[in-house]
Amino acid sequence: MATAQNLPQPASPLRWARAPFYFNSAAHLIRIGQQKATTLAELAEYLRTCPDASIFQHMFQTLQEHHYIREGFSNDFAHWAFAACNEIGLAERLAAVDVREYTSIKALRETLIGIVEEYLKKNPRTRERTAFEPFYFCASDTVVVPTPIVARNLAEFAEGLKQVSISGIHYHFIQARLRLKLNSNDFSVWLEQELDLGTLADRINRIDIYTSTLQDVRRQILKIIEKAL
Amino acid sequence: MKEKDTKQTPAASSENGGVRTQTVEHTTATEAPTSPPEVPQVERRNPNAPPVPPARERRKYKVSETPPPPPPPPKLNDYEPIIGKAAIDELHFLARHLRGKTVKMVNSTAVGGGVAEILNRLIPLMNELEVPTKWEVITGGNDFFEITKGFHNALHGGEYNVTKEILDLFQMYNEQNRQRMEFAEDLFVIHDPQPVGLIRSKRDRGRWVWRCHIDLSNPHAEVWNFLRPFVEQYDAAIFSSPAFTRQLAIPQYLFYPCIDPLSEKNKTMEETFVQKVCEDFGIDRTRPVLTQISRFDRLKDPVGVIQAYKLAKKYVDCQLVLAGGGATDDPEGAVVLAEVMEAAGDDPDVIILNLPPWSALEINALQQASNIVIQKSLKEGFGLTVTEALWKGKPTIAGAVGGIPTQVIHKLTGILVHSVEGCAYQIRYLLTHPEFAQQLGKNGHEHVKENFLMTTNVRRWLVLFQILLGVVKPARPS
Repeated sequence: MATAQNLPQPASPLRWARAPFYFNSAAHLIRIGQQKATTLAELAEYLRTCPDASIFQHMFQTLQEHHYIREGFSNDFAHWAFAACNEIGLAERLAAVDVREYTSIKALRETLIGIVEEYLKKNPRTRERTAFEPFYFCASDTVVVPTPIVARNLAEFAEGLKQVSISGIHYHFIQARLRLKLNSNDFSVWLEQELDLGTLADRINRIDIYTSTLQDVRRQILKIIEKAL
Repeated sequence: MKEKDTKQTPAASSENGGVRTQTVEHTTATEAPTSPPEVPQVERRNPNAPPVPPARERRKYKVSETPPPPPPPPKLNDYEPIIGKAAIDELHFLARHLRGKTVKMVNSTAVGGGVAEILNRLIPLMNELEVPTKWEVITGGNDFFEITKGFHNALHGGEYNVTKEILDLFQMYNEQNRQRMEFAEDLFVIHDPQPVGLIRSKRDRGRWVWRCHIDLSNPHAEVWNFLRPFVEQYDAAIFSSPAFTRQLAIPQYLFYPCIDPLSEKNKTMEETFVQKVCEDFGIDRTRPVLTQISRFDRLKDPVGVIQAYKLAKKYVDCQLVLAGGGATDDPEGAVVLAEVMEAAGDDPDVIILNLPPWSALEINALQQASNIVIQKSLKEGFGLTVTEALWKGKPTIAGAVGGIPTQVIHKLTGILVHSVEGCAYQIRYLLTHPEFAQQLGKNGHEHVKENFLMTTNVRRWLVLFQILLGVVKPARPS
């Protein structure tokens, strides 16, 4: 049932934001790491020692590289546990790790290690079983790409969102958590802080990035904004 | 007037039988009579095997005897309908940071081969982005290229007898090229092992990248130990897959091989052309078509594909097209082709096409006409024929080898198989579950769009150059 609280706040398309929103994008380069896991024991070991940029690559960046797929497992570790190790139980648990709940790589790394270690404790025979193919740890080098798209009100924001690339959606909506150190995203933070549209911001932040492609995310944000306008 | 001659595959030489083989009618643009190209002779046949049934029906298809002139390279804006305006704008932005910087790329051949194909498209795009980029080709005698061919095979794990004379000759030619060339640019990209010794011209100001297109996972130790000290003088190395790398003291980056969506092999075609090609080759488009595009090479397992087709055909109606080259200029290719013909027997629904290397439009049409594309390789590099099939939105069944699993994510962007039986089952499944097959094709297309297009590689080069020159500091999320 709709209540006054969960109805979107009326928003004027032309009301000026206190500060504009500058749309950025990001370009990534994949560095090939030195670590190569051929067993789950090695995966656990390298999860401890790999660079932060590797955790970012395999948990965050993969969401962009495979953004059009919403079936299967949502990160590279889970996919490997399933496809190369045939450990479906482990794959499911790793896939359930939601990057939106993490604002630091350190915390995310600890969760991943905990899941693998617990699985190995319960299934010791899987520890040294050789995988069908190795897991190659890679890392992401990210370069921020400013775009000329700027929004000073909600109407311009909607227009900008239509124009920005998929990399831009990923940058603002998914990667932003690590930058902001908040369980939110750049779009929601701007809507709340600069346009006082807290409810709208919350609704956008609740869009499920795991069951939606990045194009779907764009469409859903636009739908929420257009309803509010 | 056009001079015509007819070339046939060996088993297509008599009038009866069922397997349909290519009969290519060559046309030349000159008045002068030309000698017909050599017809490959099959020498190795099992004496106990029944005679290969010859072609019952000859198909005529005109393919130019010489490669046609390449079309002009596309402009950046031509890619906008494919990747969007925002992505093009981002390329311009990334390039702006490199204004005033110059690049030289060096490889060992200007025509033929995947590297030349990529550079032919990459260089004009970089120049259009106002990052002046030169392409130079090293020279050498036949002895040099024999050595580099030996190195190439050895780096793939083959046997090679390394002598001091060979190593001296390799270095001598590299030194000759080094003396001949100027190295005034800011960035140097050296492709593959042939020109690797040019690194001796490295000075303080330039940054040097070694782009290795070869799988180095299992190299001949002596050859690799010789090359490695050269490689480790570079500022970075680039590989096509993490599985292709060696442990090196320099940063290694991953650049997937890519296809050009606007090339003749990949551009969208008129349906009328696709239909005409099918008609000329005797393909019935009212019934399912399975296709494997590959040179006639045992590592591509064409006989395994025929076996899978035969198993599947017990349950589902379909035709099989095996199209490729290599049977004309490669003696082993001719032998493999004969084996393929024998395996096909007298089945009129197996269509075997031995095409010249410049049949890009025909290959494109065959892929577009296919219900399923198969690439049942037993060993593979990256497998760009898979990329091409995925780009065309075709449900793809492929061997889980080399770079194929990077492209074919099992049951998501295609199907990976490990056996003839597995391949046969997946053919049956996909033909009887068209919605699932269609979803695979759709995902496969998006996978290529995101990761394996020429424009994605331009973006990677621009980012790499920025990082190497210190123009930007990459963000490291924490």
